[in-house]
Amino acid sequence: MTIELTVNGTRQSFAGNPETPLLWVLRDHLALTGTKFGCGVGVCGACTVLSRGRAVRSCQIPIRDALGLSFTTIEGLSPDGSHPCQRAWIEEDVAQCGYCQPAMILTAAALLGARAEPTDAEIDEAMSGLVCRCGTYPRIRRAIHAAARLARASR
Amino acid sequence: MSATRRDFLSLGALGGAAALVLRFRWEADAQVVKSMAADTADAAFSPSPWIAIDASGKVTLTAHRSEMGQGARTALPMILAEELGADWSKVEVRHAAPGPDFPDMRTSGSSSVEDSWAPLRQAGAAAREMLLAAAAARWGVPAASCRARDGKVVGGDGRSIGFGELAAAAAALPVPRQPPLKSARDYTLLGTRVLRVDGPRIVRGTAVYGLDVQVPGLRKAAVARCPVFGGQARRWNAAAAKAIPGVREVVPIPSGIAVVADDTWTALAGRDALQVEWDYGPQANDSSAAYWRRLEAALDAGGRTTRAEGDAAAALARAPRRLQARYRYPFQAHATLEPMNCAARVGPDGCDVWVGTQAPNEAQRDVAKLLGIRPEAVRLEVALLGGGFGRRLGYDYVIEAVELARRVPFPVQVVWTRPDDMQHDFFQPAALHEIGAGLDAAGKPVAWVHRAATFHLSMFGPFSAGDPELYDGSPWGGYDTPYAIPALRIDYAPLAAPVPTGAWRSVEYPSTVFARESFLDEIAHATGRDPVALRLELIPSPGTVKLRTMTLDNGERLRRVVRLAAAKAGWGRPLAHRREGRRWGRGIACNAYHRQTMVAQVAEVSVGARGDVRVHRVVCAIDCGQVVNLSGLEGQVESGVLWGLSATLHGQITFAGGRVEQHTYSDFPVMRMHEAPQIETHVVPSPLPPLGAGEQPVPPIYAAVANAVFAATGARRRELPLGAAAPRQAKAT
Repeated sequence: MTIELTVNGTRQSFAGNPETPLLWVLRDHLALTGTKFGCGVGVCGACTVLSRGRAVRSCQIPIRDALGLSFTTIEGLSPDGSHPCQRAWIEEDVAQCGYCQPAMILTAAALLGARAEPTDAEIDEAMSGLVCRCGTYPRIRRAIHAAARLARASR
Repeated sequence: MSATRRDFLSLGALGGAAALVLRFRWEADAQVVKSMAADTADAAFSPSPWIAIDASGKVTLTAHRSEMGQGARTALPMILAEELGADWSKVEVRHAAPGPDFPDMRTSGSSSVEDSWAPLRQAGAAAREMLLAAAAARWGVPAASCRARDGKVVGGDGRSIGFGELAAAAAALPVPRQPPLKSARDYTLLGTRVLRVDGPRIVRGTAVYGLDVQVPGLRKAAVARCPVFGGQARRWNAAAAKAIPGVREVVPIPSGIAVVADDTWTALAGRDALQVEWDYGPQANDSSAAYWRRLEAALDAGGRTTRAEGDAAAALARAPRRLQARYRYPFQAHATLEPMNCAARVGPDGCDVWVGTQAPNEAQRDVAKLLGIRPEAVRLEVALLGGGFGRRLGYDYVIEAVELARRVPFPVQVVWTRPDDMQHDFFQPAALHEIGAGLDAAGKPVAWVHRAATFHLSMFGPFSAGDPELYDGSPWGGYDTPYAIPALRIDYAPLAAPVPTGAWRSVEYPSTVFARESFLDEIAHATGRDPVALRLELIPSPGTVKLRTMTLDNGERLRRVVRLAAAKAGWGRPLAHRREGRRWGRGIACNAYHRQTMVAQVAEVSVGARGDVRVHRVVCAIDCGQVVNLSGLEGQVESGVLWGLSATLHGQITFAGGRVEQHTYSDFPVMRMHEAPQIETHVVPSPLPPLGAGEQPVPPIYAAVANAVFAATGARRRELPLGAAAPRQAKAT
């Protein structure tokens, strides 16, 4: 059985085991390695991608459930790294090892899509499902506020 | 930098775009320096130049330290660029490969900047002097009238010429042996906030970590390892695994049974289908309780005295008042977000390894030994590390991948799952500390006996009770206590580790400093003294310490950070009780990391009715010598505080039935966004060279929090973790 889905605007098909999580299809078959493997059980959030603007965990989505759906990974968030979250992440010098940051950025992008100017409590609510072992949380918070300003300025 | 290291600068000519190439190393003995210096045009210089300035003016530094978030790939070129007078936007960094050109790539001990400081400055200064001389010759003016800045040489009359145009002429000039170094007053880049060089790649998802390497024909593998330490596979049935489409091979290797497949998910499914009967070996009944009993017995039996001043036992017996307490610190996992992984290929031409590691040379050496080939035939490419924290100083996962790769005819990547990673870590060992103090009539400590028991670090070799190195300077934080007490004894009882143990961000300091700084707080409260004032009183004055060729007043340096943290935190002023139903408190702790970097931290916490601890604010004062990248330093303080808080509040690895009981971030919780406190970093300006800042912010936070909990509740917490509100569950998708 071949499963068709859309990733970053491009039609893709996968003919392997339909139980394969979207995470491993992205990484092993589409070479989109910006989506990270952290825990495989949905508790760290490193594998986050966007689906219809919402942040979802690609390790928890068997590819059969992705049939016909459309996903955005970090590689597709913007054509040139110019999404307000990407710019803010650089300007606030958020990343340390950087491994979790694609997921943090996508989750923040989903948050800003729903709340143009999120409060700290809303940031906590949206981000606390993700793990950054380097402890960049204070800068992630700053970067989300900065991204909200950048997005407002460009509207 | 150790005294045996010598700086060595040399010059090589490269074809192609690179015009000026400077090579240097600092681990050469005098003989090598001489012979290589005499042969500066040796073409063999070309493979791994440290510094190259090409005709376009681009400056490239080949970095010899792994990047694991600590910022080495940004800080190292900053040091070079400052001395050189480079245009930072034209500085690039590429990564070194282990081998004869780069024999010292080990990334540990918060030493990347410290060790690179002198050689990079000297190399940058030498290149700058050569560029100045080349410009001066072209203009027919004295070199002393020229300055290098922003990637150009500027003449006394204001005319300028780019480094790129000068590089070829500069390359023909002799390398100055002792070029003048810039004065800190003239720094324009060092000490400023510079953005991480890998930032743009990270935010676009194109940064390549070990797990991301793309190798043609690369297959993926999962290894079934015995869950009990010391056990092994007795027999196995691979039929069900091999029946899965995409599973290529099932291969026994020393660490377990490897299932190799076309992709990661199939390898994991194959491993699940594998039927293995384990021989659990002699440790099948081991438990945390048994390990604690061992530590208690070792402490009671007494270890070896590693430091003694005066007669502490007699002074303790004589003292009108005595205090004593025991502190427990549990095992900790690293839980780097990128699980261990390594890709390898073994063929008739040698071996290729693609991996994120903190120990490239050691891994290369041992892979060569394993395969019986020359180290040069092991080509090891260092990827970015999705966290290191000491875990990737061990290279068990590299050896494991090569053991598999030598048995299959294609390149293969061994992928560890989160439980694999958490249950087969080199853990930070548990430790037990007992401190006894004798107080004089005024309540001042006059006797101090600190006894510690812990497990040795198996990552660095087998246990040998008689090895003097095991005791030298240990325990960190006890042996080198920053307090002057007239009668003092430090006893240390290391035991053979029953499970793999290893370096963990700040290594031995956390448990010791938790005990020492908590106990000092106990003394302060027992004698009605202020914890800040007591510390200031016990820190010696002047507190002279020799550091390499320098003589430092570490007493004053430590007092300054204690005073600064206290002042910035509003020490002594009442805390605003912002929320009903919670009790609030403030605590302080400090440490002198290897007598180099000074850190003091004040934590503000609140404690709920069920004892749950929340940390709201941490004020950190630090003196780590010259600051290279202020943004990097502040990031390391934030990171170190949160790293320590994960262990203070949540983290512990426990054992039952000879195996680890935790699996993932739900049963080994780490700090998350909603728990992260406000963290303020205050830097004490220092004329000293850089002294390290990656691990240094970790140790004081445990006691700062525990002391704040005492201030809030009157309950002394001597065991970790302290416990926080239940971690928020991840949202299901």
